[in-house]
Amino acid sequence: MPEKLMYDAIVVGAGPAGISAAIVLARGGLKVMLIERGRFAGAKNFFGGVLYTHALADVLPDYWDRKPPFERPVTEQGYWLMSPDGVVRIMHKSQHYQKEPADAYTALRSGFDSWFAQQAVSLGALLITKTTVVDAIRDEKGRVIGVRTDRPDGDIYAPIVIVSEGVNNLLTQKMGLMKADLPPRLIALSVKEYIGLPSKEIETRFNLSGAKEGLAIDIFGDATLGLPGTAFLYTDKQGISIGVGLLLEEFVQHRLKPYEVLARFKNHPVIKPYLAGGETLEYGAHLIPEFGYDRMPDLAADGVLVAGDAAGMVDALHREGTNLAMTAGRLAGETALAAHKQNDFSAGFLRAYRRDLESTFVLKDLKQYRRMTDFLDSTPHFMSTYVNYANEAALRYFSAHGLPKRDMEDNIVKMLFQRRSFFGVARDMLKLFQGMRG
Amino acid sequence: MSDKAHTPLSSEIRATLPNVNVDDLLASIKYYVDEDYAHLWIKDQAVCLQCKDKPCMAFCPVAVYRVDKQGHTMVGYQACVECGSCRVGCPYHNIGWTLPRGGNGVAYKFG
Repeated sequence: MPEKLMYDAIVVGAGPAGISAAIVLARGGLKVMLIERGRFAGAKNFFGGVLYTHALADVLPDYWDRKPPFERPVTEQGYWLMSPDGVVRIMHKSQHYQKEPADAYTALRSGFDSWFAQQAVSLGALLITKTTVVDAIRDEKGRVIGVRTDRPDGDIYAPIVIVSEGVNNLLTQKMGLMKADLPPRLIALSVKEYIGLPSKEIETRFNLSGAKEGLAIDIFGDATLGLPGTAFLYTDKQGISIGVGLLLEEFVQHRLKPYEVLARFKNHPVIKPYLAGGETLEYGAHLIPEFGYDRMPDLAADGVLVAGDAAGMVDALHREGTNLAMTAGRLAGETALAAHKQNDFSAGFLRAYRRDLESTFVLKDLKQYRRMTDFLDSTPHFMSTYVNYANEAALRYFSAHGLPKRDMEDNIVKMLFQRRSFFGVARDMLKLFQGMRG
Repeated sequence: MSDKAHTPLSSEIRATLPNVNVDDLLASIKYYVDEDYAHLWIKDQAVCLQCKDKPCMAFCPVAVYRVDKQGHTMVGYQACVECGSCRVGCPYHNIGWTLPRGGNGVAYKFG
């Protein structure tokens, strides 16, 4: 019999949540094993891309000195409301975005996550890659006491397991923390291309003064065929991240091919010139858990804590996720440290993690936007109706055809009610308000 | 939550979708293929045969699912990027879905 592999804590999945937890645990002096199924941390990770430094600084106060591989700071951001032939842009640029380190950076996850994992290793965590966790190990009372991996003699034991396995939360489900798998209306499928372009080209095309400026744009309307979803365009150092995401249910119902929706978006007359001459260096896809506050799994059980995408910690409205994951991972790590101090790994003690999260933006925001996905799903016409309307209204407003302005204004109001009845508009706005206010 | 079927897309909008050769996109993705273990499979081909819409043929972002001449669903798991869409999106939950063995599958160069 080989000796049992015992650790103080096991973290499943080296993404933003898991690495944050591992950093807190290692710094707290615990023997922690961080298990990753990819060939390296970041191999399986894929996002649009914006990272927020506030959450990173809470985990790693000296992160800036450790030279994180960011792409560009976000110095201009906003929304594009896209009709089939035009766009209304609502962009914000400010000197406040020019500070260093900035509040937000575009990033590519393969590089960022492997850097982040190396910081955990430098603080004493043991990173084990190429290892898939296939199940939990429980004691006779059903408490989780370790994990089973796909390695020979791959059972590893610890009094606490932090599950940060990502959106495909098979382990969370196996542990009985989530009663049912998710329906496709509560989860988004996003596809992205990373398109290589010389820095100079990017800076000229997007009116950036140099490598210390960058753009983050969320795009609504025609980019998603008017269906519930968003598209995005972010500038990287030597490339552009461009993608489109819709509720998976939309792809299923309309039999849409994600790469065709993306190709159509790239071909839009407003988008195409930005990408001209670029080369697609990578294509990929990822699910985004948008099931929200009311359908989260149990975050704690005997010997277990859950953090990040595995627990649905995404605020889709503000394209935030990695910062929720880092904050949750950090708090999970702190709870695990406290559990070691008290030598109490019961669900009762570990529920302190959820209480801590309730007092942060993580669960406050998720609670506030708990109806957002239902709003999108139940008003599938919303994007096309109002985004197209905004474009037509803008066209009237900015055109001079010798029409008295009073008539022009009347026309703009009439145009809205040709698209949607007065009560329809009222109902949509009420639903939007409810979705925003919680 | 609404359970009603969505209004179909207009044929004008559908006509604006370009044809894309997905293999060109797949060429940009780095994989370590596990030749000995298919981490995806069809649980019951009979279920696929009576599935009219076959949404998996459309929504899979890397076109893992294709139909052969007999109408059977073929699973090209080698192209899978492990997103999980088919696990959640198959209306009959007829797709067996597991993670590839450690170190195998997609390895994003950029992410």
